[in-house]
Amino acid sequence: MRLSDPIELEALRAVLAQGPAPVRRLWVCGGPGCLAAGAGRVQEALQAAAGEMGLAASVEYRTDLTGCLGLCERGPLVGVEPEGFLYGRVGPGDAMELVAETLLAGRLVGRLAADPDLPAGSDQPFYRPQTRLVMRRFGRVRPDSLEDYLASGGYAALGLALAGLSPGEVSRRVEESGLRGRGGGGFPAGRKWASCREAKGPAKYVVANGDEGDPGAFMNRSLMEGDPFSIIEGLTLGAYAIGAGKGFIYVRHEYPLSVERLGLAIGEAVSRGLLGPDILGSGFSLDLETVEGGGAFVCGESTSLMASIEGREGQPRVKYVRSTEKGLWDCPTLLQNVETWANVPPIVERGPDWFRSLGSDRNPGTKVFSLVGQVRRSGLVEMPLGSPIRAIVKDVGGGARPGRRLKAVQTGGPSGGCLPDGALDLPLDFDSLTAAGAIMGSGGLIVMDDLSCMVDVARYFTGFLMGESCGKCAPCREGLVLIHRILDGLCRGHGRRGDAAELSRLADMLSRTALCGLGQSAANPLLSTLRHFGEEYREHEEEGFCRSGRCQGLFQPLIDPEACTGCGASQKVCPAGAVRGAGKKPREVDAAGCVSCGACLQACRFGAAKAVPRPGRG
Amino acid sequence: MGKDTKKVSGTIDGRETSVPRGSILLRAALDLGIGVPTLCHHPGLPPDGNCRLCSAETGGRLVASCLYPLRDDGFVVQTRSPLVVEARRFVLGLLLSRAPADGYLLGLAGEYGAKADPRLADGADGCVRCGRCLRACRAAGSEAIALVGRGWGRKVAGPFYEPPIDCVGCLACAQACPTGAIAFSEEPRSIWGRDFGLARCGSCGAILGTPGELARSGVEVTLCPSCRRREYSRAVASLPPAQS
Amino acid sequence: MASVDLNLVDEILRTRPPEPRHLLALLQEIQARFRYLPKEAMLAVAGYLDVPLARVFSVAGFYKALSLTPKGERLVTVCQGTACHLRGASGLVGALEKRLGIGLGQTSADGRYGLESVNCLGACALAPVATVDGTVHGHLSPSKALELV
Repeated sequence: MRLSDPIELEALRAVLAQGPAPVRRLWVCGGPGCLAAGAGRVQEALQAAAGEMGLAASVEYRTDLTGCLGLCERGPLVGVEPEGFLYGRVGPGDAMELVAETLLAGRLVGRLAADPDLPAGSDQPFYRPQTRLVMRRFGRVRPDSLEDYLASGGYAALGLALAGLSPGEVSRRVEESGLRGRGGGGFPAGRKWASCREAKGPAKYVVANGDEGDPGAFMNRSLMEGDPFSIIEGLTLGAYAIGAGKGFIYVRHEYPLSVERLGLAIGEAVSRGLLGPDILGSGFSLDLETVEGGGAFVCGESTSLMASIEGREGQPRVKYVRSTEKGLWDCPTLLQNVETWANVPPIVERGPDWFRSLGSDRNPGTKVFSLVGQVRRSGLVEMPLGSPIRAIVKDVGGGARPGRRLKAVQTGGPSGGCLPDGALDLPLDFDSLTAAGAIMGSGGLIVMDDLSCMVDVARYFTGFLMGESCGKCAPCREGLVLIHRILDGLCRGHGRRGDAAELSRLADMLSRTALCGLGQSAANPLLSTLRHFGEEYREHEEEGFCRSGRCQGLFQPLIDPEACTGCGASQKVCPAGAVRGAGKKPREVDAAGCVSCGACLQACRFGAAKAVPRPGRG
Repeated sequence: MGKDTKKVSGTIDGRETSVPRGSILLRAALDLGIGVPTLCHHPGLPPDGNCRLCSAETGGRLVASCLYPLRDDGFVVQTRSPLVVEARRFVLGLLLSRAPADGYLLGLAGEYGAKADPRLADGADGCVRCGRCLRACRAAGSEAIALVGRGWGRKVAGPFYEPPIDCVGCLACAQACPTGAIAFSEEPRSIWGRDFGLARCGSCGAILGTPGELARSGVEVTLCPSCRRREYSRAVASLPPAQS
Repeated sequence: MASVDLNLVDEILRTRPPEPRHLLALLQEIQARFRYLPKEAMLAVAGYLDVPLARVFSVAGFYKALSLTPKGERLVTVCQGTACHLRGASGLVGALEKRLGIGLGQTSADGRYGLESVNCLGACALAPVATVDGTVHGHLSPSKALELV
């Protein structure tokens, strides 16, 4: 049924918000990590078990899929409403017990608790420091339900705007909120809105960038699949503010579920009169569609993304004229990351002052981070901007894994940088990270421990970017290959004197001469590791030594008999049978048989296996 | 920016100048007699800014002068600062690794002290991927070839890596190529692995072009320009005198 | 090469209006149905959208989701995201390459297997991961990866 004006919308929202809430609900996490770990099968098994107990059609006892619950490390996760229990590593075989004990009786199934000592998720150290704004509906609504969205405060902002806020007033609220773009450099969103509102053109467009390409980043996917309506409502408000009639959501090729969810959500919104022609009887119309990317990292860059929407190769263009003046088909275009768009409805509804009360002065609001790598608790985390890195890595993530020492935190994906453990007190905000030689990027936070070689990390990111370079400008097309070949030589023990100095020069020039933002930041992983971990480069270049035990052939493992517990883990994984010893006695490495692969170092949980230089090198 | 009549003033290499707002830096520099090396730029084709050779410094950063619009009063541009020189040395080294025998690049390399890195020697095929050929093809009215693939593997090719079916043999691409990387023959006409017949002037026998090229122009031509002029003068001379 | 079902191509073309902006979407749909972009289909797209063939081909060669040669019937995709790299993805690739006798991005001679990489699947907590025909397998070791094929 179509809503014909803001008053009808308000009435429906009120009814839905007061509707009969279920007595108890099992929320199965539908985040990327849990889905990959089999959450879909868990959900089916829970439904089947509920059916067997005669609860299939119950409105009181429900089991549903929801957005990402965050603690991916323990997935598949199941949250319990209203008790707040959080279950982890749930399998389909646990369904009957969960339905009987928890869903019906409200009792905790201790053996499945993600943390047996703290059964309620919100009490756990992973969740306690967090502030959920963008993720506020994850774990509380069904992502594909417009009813749930409305019942949880959705479309309040659009209703308010169309009932009496001028386009200028909507724009002013965003401008004064201090919201900064969540996709990369943190450009002030308000400046884009103002510039686009003033720009003239035969048509105007709003675009959401959901081409999340940074490896180790899945916050945008979680948002598109966990709360698609929030992005759509944000885009609708933006279109209203600048006077656009057409919009696109550009979604990464690898995210078919995001395309599906957004498509369904767009259809739902149109059928209710919240999108499409004559929205809520206001005369304002917005035609919105999803565009699926083609598998090209460079399309996350705004000018390439627009070229791709136009049906061309994703080639960036030189950006001396802003997209807000000349964007899609040379028309004014307001392009923002999906997370930026999702921040818009609460800002319009609750005002700039409320938004500024979150986060820090020049960096208001929250940011969603994906915390991954060599950390105890991987997951999706939302924190006020300006929180120290330590709060996320140590408090939320639990720090390095047993027996390991934290070495670096990598932020911002391939355009970002590696910060040393000394930078843990740095506030996570756009300006501090940029000043330290990293960037916020889309919010990937990758923890690296003492077994991660920083030269190898630079080689990894450079290799990634080399494969994704569009090839338009010479510095990026040729320069990255040269840099990668030098790094590869260092990691294989073919380093030459002067390599590190040459890398430093090439990286500096690449960042100054490349055509687009991606090329200009492509040297960041190299520059930041050179700056903070120069000693590792020197060792690779001069001694042919990799202290992290990562670069094959550039080290020899040595087991410290004092620290070795004789657990035998290193022996089990050694492919050459070169780890000797038996029983609970400390193990020893037979240097003659060792192939220098590092498997024993990775396997040791007690920090007893170390990488030392090979005799005769250096 | 287009028809902005407002003027902006500033300096290029310390020399004062005043230009219409939105003027392109490269043009403004050339008008002052300041030489800026270019490669992907061609005065008759739309600029692309991909070779980065024409980089100039303004406000502490490098910009591509073939595309950079002078929009603000008080601009200060350096086309030969130490940073610019270093950037050109870097870019020239990379371009040279693709076209190590090109005389123009070798000349600039000598001037800027640039060398090709032997570690990129396997990329040398004479083509610097500047795309002037594609832009010339499009400007001539076709779109027969493209830069295909991405990154290091990107190269100019016809569809399916085959002789391009939309090519009319006009040679515009080869004429636009700054490094002479496109092999062709003028007579008999062949390029991109295809052979083309030639239409000739009905009077003197000079080459008019390939049939496809003539068809693309949309005008029926049977004579070369000089024969056509001659025919025209003859026709005019033989007209009866105008009445009244 | 077997002849291409042009009726199917035509059916795909008619799902979108003939505007150049739909070039990528049409090629993706053809890729999904044929597992590659047959030459005849690209010619048909160029004609339908009135876009030069060279542009169709350059778009086809640019995007990783599009392929000029048929992809394997079973597609094994190893995640090369940062978390997977740190936790040993290169070991999985090495083992699979050896077993299948093909390199990354290649298809086995009998057309049965394809081996590819993807930059990140967002399942970093399960690193290293690989997918077989879209189903994700996590916490892999080289030996566990070999059990997938």
